[in-house]
Amino acid sequence: MLRRLTLAGSLYLGAIALLAFCGLPLLWMLYSAFKPAGELFSYPPRVLGAYDLANFRKLLYETDFPVYLRNSVGIAAVTVAINIVISTLGAYSLTRYRFPGKELLANLTLFTYMFAPIMLIIPVYLLLTKLGLANTHLGIVLAYLSISLPFTLWLLRAFFQSLPIDLEHAAWVDGATRLQAVVHVVVPQALPGVIATSVFAFVVVWNDYLFARVLLNERYLLTMPVGLQDMYESTIVDWGLLMSGAVVVTIPAILFFLVVQRFLIEGWGMGAVKG
Amino acid sequence: MNPRHHALTGALLFLPAFLVIGGFIFFPVGYSTWLSLTNKHTIRPTYEFVGLQNYVELAADGDYWWSVWRGAIFAGGSIALQILLGLAAALLLHQPFRGRGLVRAVALFPYMLPTIVVILLWKWLLAATFGPVNYVLQAVGLIDAPVVWLGADWLMPTTILVAVWQFFPFVVISLLARLQTIDLQLYEAAAIDGAGVWGRFFHVTLPELRHVLFVIVLLRTFFMFTKFDVPWLMATGGGLQELVQNTPVYAFRMTFRFFQAGGGAAISVSLFLMLILLTIVYFRVYRREQEA
Repeated sequence: MLRRLTLAGSLYLGAIALLAFCGLPLLWMLYSAFKPAGELFSYPPRVLGAYDLANFRKLLYETDFPVYLRNSVGIAAVTVAINIVISTLGAYSLTRYRFPGKELLANLTLFTYMFAPIMLIIPVYLLLTKLGLANTHLGIVLAYLSISLPFTLWLLRAFFQSLPIDLEHAAWVDGATRLQAVVHVVVPQALPGVIATSVFAFVVVWNDYLFARVLLNERYLLTMPVGLQDMYESTIVDWGLLMSGAVVVTIPAILFFLVVQRFLIEGWGMGAVKG
Repeated sequence: MNPRHHALTGALLFLPAFLVIGGFIFFPVGYSTWLSLTNKHTIRPTYEFVGLQNYVELAADGDYWWSVWRGAIFAGGSIALQILLGLAAALLLHQPFRGRGLVRAVALFPYMLPTIVVILLWKWLLAATFGPVNYVLQAVGLIDAPVVWLGADWLMPTTILVAVWQFFPFVVISLLARLQTIDLQLYEAAAIDGAGVWGRFFHVTLPELRHVLFVIVLLRTFFMFTKFDVPWLMATGGGLQELVQNTPVYAFRMTFRFFQAGGGAAISVSLFLMLILLTIVYFRVYRREQEA
């Protein structure tokens, strides 16, 4: 009995430690974002003191943050849309058709994991410059397509492999064409996987710092990670302002997390999560 | 349906993906390898083939070996801690207890945060003046005066800490999935044999996790040795870049600060070759252990 109690006790102790290690920094981010500038630097921290939206107001009306945010959302959305079409076709092809070199292609896709982003950015920068696409959103969408596609392809391949092919066969037997079978049988089953994959792709693009730093120069083209870093470097550090930016940027992450949490815990497509 | 026609459809469906991966990954990698054999300037257009000269220069470049060393410390330290912490957290979260859902969600959350948010948040947490970490440590009497966590003495440990905080959930996610599939009869059998908590861990859980741990270590090795944003962003503004300068950061500076694209490409290719070598050794050791 005593043994069992100590075991339960250490379990809760561990859980609290884990919760504190991961959760307290997040609470501090929220605390700083909603604190008036005058109170943020008081020792000891005034947890019970005043809270307001001054930082957010300043962020939206007095900085370039809205521009960065719009760029980030636009670039990520376009990249993910193109990516998902290409990788769904590719993954369907890899799991439902036979053609020479198929296995090699699938393995080459995984092999691209070994290429460091830094190994890609140097030639990609030079090539896009040559094509006149450096410092454009089109250029960076192409670059993001290349870093996100291998792993969405790999994820969706794993997902399509897990879908029973018998249902499709049954649809064919019932006289459906291949396209009809895809639309009525495959797509509804694949949808959760496609959504989760889109989220993962969105996160990869949304989080990127290196490609945006190198490929974009103009202020009005910058994405959020680069913009936030520039805000940090350019002025006397205003932690309340920066944390309010961090909170805004984190909101999509929370939404995505709610969408994909089930997939994460089931461990589907292990190793597919990137970074 | 005609099988040849069938194969053609399949290949056509894969074609767009093939073009992107070929055109934007394999072609650039080939181009990068070629660049590493030239004296290409990052902006000036003309350049010449110089053979292995960039590599010869790297071999004699103290800054290069320093970056290899710092990169190894950063990657080695952060991988080891991610695995240990991730394993402990996964075992914990695998047990049923009240509030597990909440703890699990919070523990996985750092992984979803953009790196820039993680870096800025930790720089603020660790700030020498007004930072809450120094405040708490002083309040409980662990330190007498604020520690400059982002200064020369502590930059590497704090960079490792930040990387571990952000990436250990990857290990948790991967391990939790595998833990759920372990046959419970194995534990019952071990209990009948008189194994305690530790005995069950070492004789059942750990052997069952071997394969997945092998893959996790491999993937984390790729990701941590090629990590650019964490060490780069942790050091910006402090003038301490050298202290956490791993090979990707050195390649970046060589290309975009000193404008030697050829030299930068050579550094990145050397990193790739080192990773391949590491992978081969790793597979060998693992296979030998499997046989033993």
